Amino acid sequence: MTTVLILLLLALGAYLVAVIETWTITGRFQLAAPLFAGIALLGRESIVPRKPDRIFFEVAPVLLLISAILAAAVVPLTPDLIITDLATGALFINAALVYVLVALLMAGWGPDGAYAMIGGWRFLGQLIAYAMLIVMPITAVVMRAESLLTTQIVVSQAGVWNIVYQPLGFVLFFIAAMALAFLPPFDLPTAKGELAGGVEAEYTGVRLAVFRLGRLALIITLAAATVIFYLGGWQGPWLPPWAWSAIKILVVTATMLLIGRFMPRIREADLLAWCWIFGIPLALLNIFLVGVLVLVLP
Amino acid sequence: MITGARQGTLSGLRRLVSIAMARDLSAFLIPGPDIARAHGLDFEAAGLHPVASPRHASVLLIVGAIPPALREAAAIIYAQMVRPRVLFALGTETLPPLPAADVVAGLSQQDLIQGIRQLRSAFAEGAFRPDVSDFDAPMLHVRIEYTCPMHPEVVQSEPGSCPKCGMDLLPREAQATAGHTHADHQEMDNSADRQATSTHDHGTHHTMVRDAPLEYTCPMHPEVVQREPGSCPKCGMNLEPREAQTEPTHDHHHMTHDAPVEYTCPMHPEVVQSEPGSCPKCGMTLEPHEMQDTQTQEHAGMDPHRDHSTMDPGDMAFMSMIDVTQDLPRSGDGLPMEWIEAPFGPFFPGLPGGLLLTLTLDGDTVAGSDARSLIENGDLLLQHLSMDSGSFVERLANRDPLAPVAYRLLACRALENVAGMDIPADTACARIGALERERIASHLGWLALFGQQTGFDWLRRRAASLQLKFRQADLKQILALKPAIQALTKRLKRTPLLESRTAGIGQLAPDATLRGPVARAAGISDDARSTDKTCAALGFTPVSREGGDALARLHVRLDEIAHSIALIKAAGAIELPAPAHVGELSGTGEAVVETPRGLARLQLTLEGGQVTAAQLDTPSTHHLTLITPLIEQQELGDALVIVGSLDLSPWEIQP
Amino acid sequence: MSAQTFFIGFFGLAAVWFGIVVFRTFSMVRSALALLFSQTALGAMFLSMQAEFLGVLQIMMMATEMSIMAIFMVMFMMDPGGLGEMDMTHQKRLSLSAGIVSFVAAVAVAVFVDWGPVAHTAPDAAQQTVDLGLELLGRSMLIFETAGVTILTAMIAATAVAIQPATWRSKHEH
Repeated sequence: MTTVLILLLLALGAYLVAVIETWTITGRFQLAAPLFAGIALLGRESIVPRKPDRIFFEVAPVLLLISAILAAAVVPLTPDLIITDLATGALFINAALVYVLVALLMAGWGPDGAYAMIGGWRFLGQLIAYAMLIVMPITAVVMRAESLLTTQIVVSQAGVWNIVYQPLGFVLFFIAAMALAFLPPFDLPTAKGELAGGVEAEYTGVRLAVFRLGRLALIITLAAATVIFYLGGWQGPWLPPWAWSAIKILVVTATMLLIGRFMPRIREADLLAWCWIFGIPLALLNIFLVGVLVLVLP
Repeated sequence: MITGARQGTLSGLRRLVSIAMARDLSAFLIPGPDIARAHGLDFEAAGLHPVASPRHASVLLIVGAIPPALREAAAIIYAQMVRPRVLFALGTETLPPLPAADVVAGLSQQDLIQGIRQLRSAFAEGAFRPDVSDFDAPMLHVRIEYTCPMHPEVVQSEPGSCPKCGMDLLPREAQATAGHTHADHQEMDNSADRQATSTHDHGTHHTMVRDAPLEYTCPMHPEVVQREPGSCPKCGMNLEPREAQTEPTHDHHHMTHDAPVEYTCPMHPEVVQSEPGSCPKCGMTLEPHEMQDTQTQEHAGMDPHRDHSTMDPGDMAFMSMIDVTQDLPRSGDGLPMEWIEAPFGPFFPGLPGGLLLTLTLDGDTVAGSDARSLIENGDLLLQHLSMDSGSFVERLANRDPLAPVAYRLLACRALENVAGMDIPADTACARIGALERERIASHLGWLALFGQQTGFDWLRRRAASLQLKFRQADLKQILALKPAIQALTKRLKRTPLLESRTAGIGQLAPDATLRGPVARAAGISDDARSTDKTCAALGFTPVSREGGDALARLHVRLDEIAHSIALIKAAGAIELPAPAHVGELSGTGEAVVETPRGLARLQLTLEGGQVTAAQLDTPSTHHLTLITPLIEQQELGDALVIVGSLDLSPWEIQP
Repeated sequence: MSAQTFFIGFFGLAAVWFGIVVFRTFSMVRSALALLFSQTALGAMFLSMQAEFLGVLQIMMMATEMSIMAIFMVMFMMDPGGLGEMDMTHQKRLSLSAGIVSFVAAVAVAVFVDWGPVAHTAPDAAQQTVDLGLELLGRSMLIFETAGVTILTAMIAATAVAIQPATWRSKHEH
């Protein structure tokens, strides 16, 4: 029952992400636009390119969606609303999200086209940049909570949210989350101006719908993870827990989608250089600082 | 009724889908959003959602008349769109090979909105049809040719065996011929193409000599050794002959013939024989081993751990892929990836419409490139023209939809130069006003394209809306828009990541062949307006910057916009150039104009009032040649930014 | 109990099957990703054995590693798509014998080593994590710290070796 409810909420969340994304692009709130777009997409032909790697071509969108759903399975929306409260929840989120890379590599290789392939390779480079910046801030968060349970992580922020306790970790995690979801300015694998759609370019019809749905689910899952780890989850005065979760997640989503509109795409070389030269030392510093705080503060 | 309908009867669920499709119109623009904006169309406001890939589009929107080569490319794009698909033509009747347009409208915003209304009803009613015919065109027929993975030069039209090495020929698509049969999404035959275009040189180690007794071995499997010719039992290749006493047939073992040799197994150094053969323990070919081990220059790139006495067991003669790839040209980042030839254009989002950039990519680094314009506008260069001056001016003006006023002015000035006329100062000032207004619109259009290319969405929308406003603005409106331009410039100077995206990219040294903003960004303050007395009277000074990189070009164009506003204000009026009446004049003359992209020169010959010869020299023609050396060894994103920063207009490129 | 055995068996067989696919397929990329899914099946097996941390860690690490390996295979192998269907195996006799020897050794180790008394229940996953943490910072600290530093050194050394200095390269360019 909880599972079904959460999956429905995930679908609703994905729909709202689509609405917010249209708003960031056009400046208008079109509540019905994603619905029409989805139906239209399902009604179009599904084309398979000549000589694809059929297995990869079919599996990639599904794997993207599954990895987002699996990551969402350990995210608590309220103290009882979680699909499975794994004891290693915080680590499991990262484990599930790594398969986004596998999915995009398959989507890059499968269609047998230059643009998709380059998009896939670029995403691998992007992973090397963001992978550490996802895991290390999570480590610091877990240090404060003294547990990998996501519910425990939220409860540990009862007094002070992690965004105040470890702001450095928040910034790094936020940036890395945007890179993981290949949102602008990190949209290297699906660059519209450079790769004519990249990994997404060769998908049509149902497969494209699944791919896009997977991407939306990924964005909302990452927003939910940010809220869990840094923004105190469901905690807040006056409103019921689920309302706070919803508000926070939507605000984080809107921020993630909005930021990228105002700057050009980052260069891959720059992304790698900055993440490894600045990002990782800062993440280590963050762990150190949190360690000191955890030991010193009562 | 739409020709690109999808098979099916319009009932029940499909009706719902048709209605959804009518509400969700995604368009692929031909020749590009830059041309659409140059004609004053705001397609997003009209309800069309532009997409980057034809596979995601349901409407193919053709803006204006397009030349034959582009039409063929457009036909390929149309074939790549998924059904149901609609062909929407503005300002043109579609000519073959495209099918007849489903909706036709004029080239104005009102007509566009009207046409879109028709589109929606066309979708709602005609998206599904029980009887559909496929769209077919000659250039869509893919010619399958057969090629040998080892010898890319061997190409046949039927399957068979390679005459050189006996391997089975693999099928692959015929390569691009003139380039104009390819559109964005070239689907390539993965492996065969890869092998054909890769430079794995397994077949070229034929340093065979002549008199000594021969034995036959397989280049891929050196353990296969026979005394007579034949095929390798493992892979089917013809066995290569090799001298019994000299070098084995693979790249990295070249030795002199003189010194005494003995044969040893690389895996088992204890096995030593005096004649060649196979190692009794592992079946490997015995390697010749001699005292003097000379290595050729080919191995300079690898550290010399290939001599046999120190051969480590894991390092088999043919197995090390490091060795196999050692002769591959390395790109700038040192990683040997597959060589892919990919077309970027002619309708690539982010590049000017009509520009075909064929890149040979080594991974995501550009290893080679070929840039050309598919718009062949050479008709005006004919020596034996005969048209009256008025229509000549119109022809020249309509030639380049991205800078019509500049070319109109050029033609008028050339005519006046032939006639030896002088134009009154206020007309000259008004003409300058029009020229500068077009410069502003052109630079804003470039900014919008740049924003699209770099994923800078805010810039794309802001520059596009400003361009549409400036295009036909009068003096008062232009001055009212000045704060908007200043805000844009200030915002761009503060944009994070913009500087890192463009600084140091595409550096050009000051060079006489550079023109326009490209030259001025390299520090050359050449500007045709400096020599024009009208402009000088209005207080014109050229802008220039040091650096010569893409960032400098961006700033030069921003500065030029601001300067143009000041010039317009000083000019006080805006008026399109009108050709003078030349009567029955004869003579030659020439004129220059500083188009938004650089200096353009026109030489005219008139005979009896008719234009008989014209020679046009445009900046984009010169800048096109800059591309290949400039983007070599650049990462793909940087290469595209470089091409974009040159601000080419494919319409004015002379073949 | 039986469900657990079933899942362990299922994932074990899946791991073996994917491992076989690694060598049976002609496509390099399929080979690399089959290895990836073989490791994922192993991780799932750990999860079925209630070693939660280990299972999640295995799933996470192997995905990243195998994907990077896939790219290197595309770089250096001649026919990444596998459409040429060339036989890429070498040294068949040696590898066959090495495989059989390793298999026999692994089975011997599994059967003959004294693994201690059988644990009938695994501790709670959260407790396992706590115990693991205490172990890492207690008895096994030296092992893991030296392993970590060694890996870091190897990474830095490999990167330094791979970067060819620009001057050296331009000197040796044809």
